[in-house]
Amino acid sequence: MGAELFDLRPALAPLVSAICAGLVMLVGYRPGWRAGLALAAPVLKFGVVWSMLPGALAGTTYRISFGEVLPGLAFAFRVDALGLFFALVSSTLWIAATVYALAYMRGRPGQQRFFGFFALCVSTTVGIAFAENLMTLFVFYELLTVCTYPLLMHDGGLRVRRAGRRYLVYTLSGGALILAGMLLVWHLAGTLSLAGNGILSGVDSRPALLAVFVMLTAGFGVKAAIMPLHAWLPSAMVAPVPVSALLHAVAVVKAGAFGLLRVIYNVFGVDLMRELGYAQVLGAVAGATIILASIVALRQQRLKPLLAWSTISQLSYIVLAASLLTPAAAVAAIIHLANQAFAKITLFFAVGAIERGTGKTRIDELDGIGYRMPLVMGAFTVASLSFIGVPLLAGFITKWYLSLGALEAGAGGYVALLAVSALLNAMYWLPILYRAFFRRPESPAPVRPVSLMMRLPTLVCAIYVVILGIGAEAPAMPFVLAESAVRFAFGMHGVAP
Amino acid sequence: MSIGQWVPLAAILAPLIGAAWIRVAGPGRCAGAAVAIGAVVVAFAGCTLLAFIAGRGASPALALIALVPPIHLTLRVDALGALFGLTVAALYVPATFHAVSWLRDDAYWRLYHTVALACLALMLLVAFAGNLVTLLVGYELFSLVSFLLIVHRRTPDAFRAGIKYLAYVIPGAALTLIGTVIVFFAAGSVGFAPGGLDVPAGSAGMLTVAWVCLVFGFGVKAALFPLHGWIPDAHPAAPAPFSGILSGVMVATGAFAIVRVAYEIFGPVRLEALGVMPWLAIPAALGVVVAGVLAVGEDHLKRRLAWSTISQMGYATLAASLLEPRALAGALVHLANHAFIKGGLFFAVGAVAAVAGIHRVSELPGLSRRMPVTAVVITVLAAALVGLPPLAGFIGKWWLVTGAAEAGAWPVLTVLLLGSVLAALYLWPVVFAAWSAPPELRSGSPVRRDEPWNGMLAAALVTAVLAVVFGVAAAATGYPLGLAVRAAAALAGGS
Amino acid sequence: MVPLVFLLPLAAAALLPALFGARPRLAWYAALAVALATTVAAAVVAGALPAAGELRYAVGGWAAPLGIELRFDRIAAVTVAFGAVTALAITFSRTLTDSVPRPVLFYTLVLVNLGGLNGFALAADLFNLFVFMELLSVSAYALVAATRQPGAALAAIKYLLPGAVSSLLVLFAIGVLFALTGSLNMADVGARLAGVEAPAAVALALGALTVGFLVKAALFPLHFWLPDAHSAAPGPVSALLSALVVKVGVLGLLRTFELFGAAAGPGLLRLETLLTVLGAVAVVAGAVAAVVQHELKRMLAYSTVSNIGYIVLGLGLATTASVAGSIAHVFYHGLTKAGLFLAAAALVDRTGLHDIDDLRGLGHRMPWSATALSAGMIAVAGVPPTAGFVGKWQIALGALEGGRPLPVTVLLVTVVLGGALLALAYGIRVINALFFRAPTHHRVVAAREAPLSMLVPLVVLIGLALSAGLSGAAVIEFVRPVAEAFVGR
Repeated sequence: MGAELFDLRPALAPLVSAICAGLVMLVGYRPGWRAGLALAAPVLKFGVVWSMLPGALAGTTYRISFGEVLPGLAFAFRVDALGLFFALVSSTLWIAATVYALAYMRGRPGQQRFFGFFALCVSTTVGIAFAENLMTLFVFYELLTVCTYPLLMHDGGLRVRRAGRRYLVYTLSGGALILAGMLLVWHLAGTLSLAGNGILSGVDSRPALLAVFVMLTAGFGVKAAIMPLHAWLPSAMVAPVPVSALLHAVAVVKAGAFGLLRVIYNVFGVDLMRELGYAQVLGAVAGATIILASIVALRQQRLKPLLAWSTISQLSYIVLAASLLTPAAAVAAIIHLANQAFAKITLFFAVGAIERGTGKTRIDELDGIGYRMPLVMGAFTVASLSFIGVPLLAGFITKWYLSLGALEAGAGGYVALLAVSALLNAMYWLPILYRAFFRRPESPAPVRPVSLMMRLPTLVCAIYVVILGIGAEAPAMPFVLAESAVRFAFGMHGVAP
Repeated sequence: MSIGQWVPLAAILAPLIGAAWIRVAGPGRCAGAAVAIGAVVVAFAGCTLLAFIAGRGASPALALIALVPPIHLTLRVDALGALFGLTVAALYVPATFHAVSWLRDDAYWRLYHTVALACLALMLLVAFAGNLVTLLVGYELFSLVSFLLIVHRRTPDAFRAGIKYLAYVIPGAALTLIGTVIVFFAAGSVGFAPGGLDVPAGSAGMLTVAWVCLVFGFGVKAALFPLHGWIPDAHPAAPAPFSGILSGVMVATGAFAIVRVAYEIFGPVRLEALGVMPWLAIPAALGVVVAGVLAVGEDHLKRRLAWSTISQMGYATLAASLLEPRALAGALVHLANHAFIKGGLFFAVGAVAAVAGIHRVSELPGLSRRMPVTAVVITVLAAALVGLPPLAGFIGKWWLVTGAAEAGAWPVLTVLLLGSVLAALYLWPVVFAAWSAPPELRSGSPVRRDEPWNGMLAAALVTAVLAVVFGVAAAATGYPLGLAVRAAAALAGGS
Repeated sequence: MVPLVFLLPLAAAALLPALFGARPRLAWYAALAVALATTVAAAVVAGALPAAGELRYAVGGWAAPLGIELRFDRIAAVTVAFGAVTALAITFSRTLTDSVPRPVLFYTLVLVNLGGLNGFALAADLFNLFVFMELLSVSAYALVAATRQPGAALAAIKYLLPGAVSSLLVLFAIGVLFALTGSLNMADVGARLAGVEAPAAVALALGALTVGFLVKAALFPLHFWLPDAHSAAPGPVSALLSALVVKVGVLGLLRTFELFGAAAGPGLLRLETLLTVLGAVAVVAGAVAAVVQHELKRMLAYSTVSNIGYIVLGLGLATTASVAGSIAHVFYHGLTKAGLFLAAAALVDRTGLHDIDDLRGLGHRMPWSATALSAGMIAVAGVPPTAGFVGKWQIALGALEGGRPLPVTVLLVTVVLGGALLALAYGIRVINALFFRAPTHHRVVAAREAPLSMLVPLVVLIGLALSAGLSGAAVIEFVRPVAEAFVGR
């Protein structure tokens, strides 16, 4: 392990975008300022986060601590490999999402508030990534709920309010569970630090550990949309497209999945989890979610709910991978944070562009859309093929490591389950592509031109899906980070997983 | 760093660049055709070069991008890869000429060339793959991409065939992935090595699962008996030049992959120990017989040829399952020769369909008047496929039969001979019909010769010539037989 | 320095009407200056505490137990918060001169109230304790009625009656104690009680004091007077009442336990159980009542009931962690609730609307106040690292640590967290109405943002409420000796 350095940047990363968010709220009534600041937030943060990558690759961890909220429990940030990986993914995507949102939201009311909270969300996500302890993580986790709520509610109306209420009920109940679990962890271990790999390893009270596990996994599982805690996600699709992208790809669901990774790798630790065996139950639940959500997705008539159910299915890949407790599976869990994010955000961008260009939201209205919006549907194709697990695309890497991890764990059944999931994915993505590219529309409605600011992020994210798929070992790619996070979690030194 | 390392990459990139050019630059019909032919010729030249290089032993592997660290996209050329790569590239040359003619009035001609060139690149990737994951990448991608060619005509029939194809291929791909992962898990490596990988003892059950997954996965492509369902539908639906490629090399890719996996992942010794080979031989034998019988009863020309392909692929798989060098060499050379013969038959039949509008055997009478050259070509190729000496088909069958005899596998021998008899049964009516008098002649109206001298005819003619040459001068250097023998020796000798 | 902490505001209160009787603006400046000076004095003394241990000061040089003694211990450090919140409330009431008939009297009463609060915290003998309690109570009754609006007088009466009863109970207990021990100095009384052989009388005194202070603290079910009083009072007054005045009951309770520590061991144990039960019930009942309220200020008042429940629960659990948490929560809840009431006052006073449903859409007209209120709602729910978190966390920890049977522990932790969740629920109701609903009332559409004199104090308070949790460890460490003394009786 490398040195642990005091550094301002872990705090600066969430702070810069929070400041930008504040400025958007203050001077954002001017469109120019608003756009500039809304863009500055992710770009600055991106710079700060990336500047820590070389150090992190060299094994350095950066940390900074603020006041102690409780004796021995500081409000502190610490950048380790896992956290940096998550932060890199979210900050990279955020730029694309902001550019897209600027175009998508043009001419809509309430933009000042929208972009203010949009920038604030990026801040909280990085806060989650860089949290040194469970409490700091929880702070930003709850803050994320609070910040996404106005975005979710942006369009107003009864349906939206109902969805918003459901979202809050789910996430806040989850938050309460996490808080309870956190309390118990503190009571048992006397620390909430996420810097080690297993703070509960010294505890031998089985009922208490079970309680902690149930509370923390259920709590984080709400945002990670593990069945049966998933119901908020499909109903949250009433939000504007960039917000859905935010919920699904960049921030909210990922925060839940990331929290689960932290719980498994840092709070319990791999050794303790293996000993306890609770992870097998979690894995079974995740496996069931993968299949069931895909089956529900098959029956969807509209694009956005389809994406939502696909997200539920895909997120459980991460959960399943984490619960297998083997190095290869851990690699899958971590890199799927990125792989799912890039592919899903591409899909959302594409769906938003289609909605903007043609007003179509149903799958059966998409006949021939591939010829009228080739760029957008091309990106859509790449992303959906990635979900199916076609080689050279990001999803293949996940599938490979996850299968390998399942074999390592002696759970070969999951390999078959993944194959079934890939088939189900093919069964709901390919018909869309078929309609888009091989069906002639009955009455070709004119396509309104879609702003380049919407098409470009779509394309860039699709290209990234390919880069993630073929450039897994390129030096600046986060794959190396995922490996080093895995090495840390499994207490391996210098051994490739 | 030898130059030989980079030639396979160049051979793969040439068609890709051509495909990108046609797609992006949007050239006119002539320029587009020139680009497509140029790309194919470059790839062919590269493969020819590789065949000579491989003649001096396998080239060192070239590791490119990391697919799933620590596994890289690796290119390596050995005799087996060179044989298959050369077959693919060589068949593509006439196929591309054929396509240029066939697509003269087609709106989607650019798409056809783009996808066909991409398929060529991916098949070459399969041929030159240095490890199982690389092979898998090429295999899965071209499986998906070739869907675009099957549905090229965009008729409801074509879509039905395309969807059926996907319904077979995607589960197949999933199975192959499972098998590959298990192999990597058990052996810690997926690199091809003669004699198979080192696997710790005691994982027989897992290896059996992997073997089953891989054989079923590749078997979908290889038209292994119960997995052949898509083939009779896909061939009539696809454009004629692509039917040739499909039957000639794409199906062979599956058999090629099975051979790779059997000899260089598992190794003959371990396969013998696992005792799985009879289970491969039985479906292969069933395929030879059942598909042959079905072909006899089929009236639709392309479907009849498709059944024949299933039957002929069964030959190769059956021979490979014997784990005997001579039979293996026969299987390989038969794969190569069958590619040209069957490709040529489809080219010819495609020309007949395009020019005369004839799709069925029952409509063939009078063909020799209307299209005499095509009729000759069909006759020669049919004779070659049945295995009449000294044509190309005979060479492969001879080695197969003698190999089986050496191994003492009399049931296999019986099946092979039965297959040949069936081949004669289902091809003879075609030839007979082609040369019989047309109904119009009987009714008195004259039949004019309307055989155009175009790419379609040229393609068919070239393959017919090859079928003769490969048979008559089978032993010449650089011809399939030499490479196949060398490949079989390398594969079996490593054990 | 110590006597300044309560003498300063009282003396200023006496002088204010005389000096600035006709000049409310000057009186405002003066009152603000005095409140600030008091805060500074208290802070200086509190700053000296860790080094000095406990500061005792004999007024007029007469030594205890006969003379009047002041004692500035770690509990009395809360006077810093008293002074600061009062100063901010005075700042906030700058524009109140328009609506209050006699503004100078109003400022005077606020200062008297501050003097009473500080005096109560500092008093080392029972008599002074009572005197200061009366002082602050009476000033509080008057402040409730200060607007002279129709409901105000009735609310003041409603407030006065239970207040008077509680005062009587406390006085009665003091009388009993004096009769038993012959002393009024608390340390002295405590020491002598140990030798008293009259358990019934001791229990009576203990009971009377406890009930008296619990009424002052408005612990459920003795809270009945609070929602009316707090919602009827003028904005800054409700802030003072809810944030500070109810805390007098808690301080009194702490002093009571200190007093009886040596004497009534078993009785106190039973009392602790009672407090635990009552506190837990209050947490839930207050929160549930807050969720169903229609009026914003009543909702906040019920939130105070719930939070007092937390504090009492923490005391009842009687572990170092929970007691320290309770004392910290006295301080933190004071900050948060003051900020909330000021923000609510800004919204309510500017529009004249009380119902949450009427306030719909106000967030876009008065963004600062509404944002502050929303943020305060989140802080009061106890989302970390806001002010509300520290106390609740420590109290929950205390529930885990007590070594109680598992179901009880689970129930207690559930209560603590459930109360927080309910607090979020009513907070979200307000946030939804303010920001996510279309305006329904014409006055909302016409409303304009509050003036700076209102915004500054409420933003400062809410800012503190949001960030003060970061200093949680320091506060917990500061009060730990008190908690240890409380637990280690």
